[in-house]
Amino acid sequence: MTNSAQTIDPALYAAATDAVRAEAKKVLESGAVSAVVGWQAGRRPGTAMPAIVTDPARVNDLIFSPACVNNLALYLTKAKKEIRAKGRIAIVAKGCDLKALVGLMGENQLRRDDLHVIGVACAGVHGANVDRTLPLSEATIARKCRECAVHTPEGADAIVGTLPELHRFTPTESEELARLEAMAPAERWKFWKEHFSHCIRCYACRQVCPFCYCEQCMCDRNRPQAVETTPRPAGNMAWHIVRAMHLAGRCAGCAECERACPMDIPLNLLNRKMAKELKELYGFEAGLEVKDKGPLAEYREDDDQSFIK
Amino acid sequence: MPITITEQNLRLLIDTLVKAGTRVVGPKAAGTMTLYEPLSAGEELNLGGLPRRSAKETFFPLCETILTYEREKEGVRVTDVDPGSVPETLLIGARPCDAAAAPVLDAVFSWDYKDEFFLERRRKTTIIGLACTRADDACFCTAVGLSPADTRGSDLFLTPLKDGGYRCDAITGKGEALLAAHAALFADGDGTPAPLAEPSPGAMDLDKIRGWLDTHFEDPLWEEIAERCAGCGACAFLCPACHCFDIVDEGGEAKGARRKSWDACGFGKFTNHASGHNPRDVQPQRYRNRIMHKFKYYVDKFDQRLCTGCGRCIRACPVGIDIAAVLEEINSKGVE
Ligand code: SF4
Ligand code: SF4
Ligand code: SF4
Ligand code: SF4
Ligand code: SF4
Repeated sequence: MTNSAQTIDPALYAAATDAVRAEAKKVLESGAVSAVVGWQAGRRPGTAMPAIVTDPARVNDLIFSPACVNNLALYLTKAKKEIRAKGRIAIVAKGCDLKALVGLMGENQLRRDDLHVIGVACAGVHGANVDRTLPLSEATIARKCRECAVHTPEGADAIVGTLPELHRFTPTESEELARLEAMAPAERWKFWKEHFSHCIRCYACRQVCPFCYCEQCMCDRNRPQAVETTPRPAGNMAWHIVRAMHLAGRCAGCAECERACPMDIPLNLLNRKMAKELKELYGFEAGLEVKDKGPLAEYREDDDQSFIK
Repeated sequence: MPITITEQNLRLLIDTLVKAGTRVVGPKAAGTMTLYEPLSAGEELNLGGLPRRSAKETFFPLCETILTYEREKEGVRVTDVDPGSVPETLLIGARPCDAAAAPVLDAVFSWDYKDEFFLERRRKTTIIGLACTRADDACFCTAVGLSPADTRGSDLFLTPLKDGGYRCDAITGKGEALLAAHAALFADGDGTPAPLAEPSPGAMDLDKIRGWLDTHFEDPLWEEIAERCAGCGACAFLCPACHCFDIVDEGGEAKGARRKSWDACGFGKFTNHASGHNPRDVQPQRYRNRIMHKFKYYVDKFDQRLCTGCGRCIRACPVGIDIAAVLEEINSKGVE
């Protein structure tokens, strides 16, 4: 492998940054949108955070870099009513984020007409716990990006940036999933039990998920209590099962839940497993096309019912 | 004459205490992280990185049962958990930002209500602090008036020496007692301390920051910073100084328990009233509370700050909110 095949050229991100700014300026100045949801640089080198820009004079704050990990679709959900109230909104979206926007449209949470999607051609973002000052490489790229099928966000109103020649990274997530699937149930149970024992119920996984927009999460209820809210084994297990079930067939695979987890719980493995089941059972997959109904939100006579015993 | 201890004897000290039935808590490898956890032997001590969660759980556990109930033939039996049943504990290898949080928490837990669960654990805990020789770009203890060698909250303080081993300074009577009880493991002597960590944000004018907070309960800054806030509890749960908790009854009709577990002002339901009204109904108001509580209310009330600059909330925030950047921004503003 040549050196250029091992790292992704940071110049691509600089070019995408310029293009994001130009597009944001255009839509803000023309009055087409009242706000642009994008990313801006953080104080620490190699970090970024979501930015909500309403003033065209501020568009130069916007960036696109491997630090732009957040799925900004979060800011268009019910959980963030303040932002939606600003009017028609432009949102900068990577392919994986666009899948979430599409899913939200399918669930009638968003209307395509209310959005201006600035899609970024994305070669990848940084993984958790890596040296963020290094360019993307086998050692620093996020797990989800190693197996990305949506580098170009099709269906966006504008596409910014260009893709480099993409090379193959080791698909660590699939490998891990295969390893789990090969385990005996008891062994797999032990794996998750151990991970869930670290869960502190901070709900970062829920709060960053664009699909966790319920105004009343059943896991917060205490009268009557549906799921134990304290971070003990029973409640933790119930919490994760409830969430996996509620996200099955809806999860866009952005892996934000896993990234946000301060306890390093590999939540996306659960998501991927559920997605795989949904595909096998119902031929359904989250993608870039708006669908009216999800597999667990509709009934068909020919649905596979073999799992009901 | 200064006193030192070798790395090997430090581990031996843990072994000795564990054998004697003392609960020893210290940094330990846990998968991809380091956590402060009970150690079963000295070799488990892992002083490499800053533990992901703070050391506060040594006296303020993530979750604890305070009473249990059980239905009996003649009614319901309610049993209080005895706070006195907590074991003697040694917290070893606490970073200065973690140790310094202990006296901060003492103030609130012994104020109008004496929290016996917390206070018993504190009474029974001896803290061995450890100076930092490394800081990352989230550390900012120096900005909030502490330092990588601050001994606040420690009973005994270890300073890593250049050629290995540690210099030991007894800070309190508890520390002296520990030295005296295990004198054979310590030696008289001195050494050259290893260079200390140097967190990059320098000292900030905390009085000026409080002055600004005094007069800016309403300010566009709150929205600018916090409309991005996702409303999770990662910042508070990882923080050594945050101490909000919730009390819930869990279980069924036949038996169950009343439990106390961490809560966070970032949560949407944090101040939700039974009426359904929520006085802090959007995230910027909740984030404002976080900053106000840490740098104004707690200072007004207890003359201490609710932040030791450990940087954990900065590292953990899924949307990149950086409390040091927020303080820098406020610090740069003039007080009108
Ligand atoms: S999964 Fe694909 S679109 Fe998403 S961040 Fe990674 S490379 Fe970009
Ligand atoms: S469950 Fe996780 S991966 Fe799926 S959409 Fe939500 S945050 Fe993204
Ligand atoms: S983010 Fe992690 S620790 Fe927090 S509730 Fe979710 S799984 Fe648990
Ligand atoms: S507020 Fe943040 S930096 Fe300050 S002590 Fe808490 S976690 Fe550490
Ligand atoms: S900052 Fe928030 S969570 Fe932390 S102690 Fe204050 S009110 Fe509680």
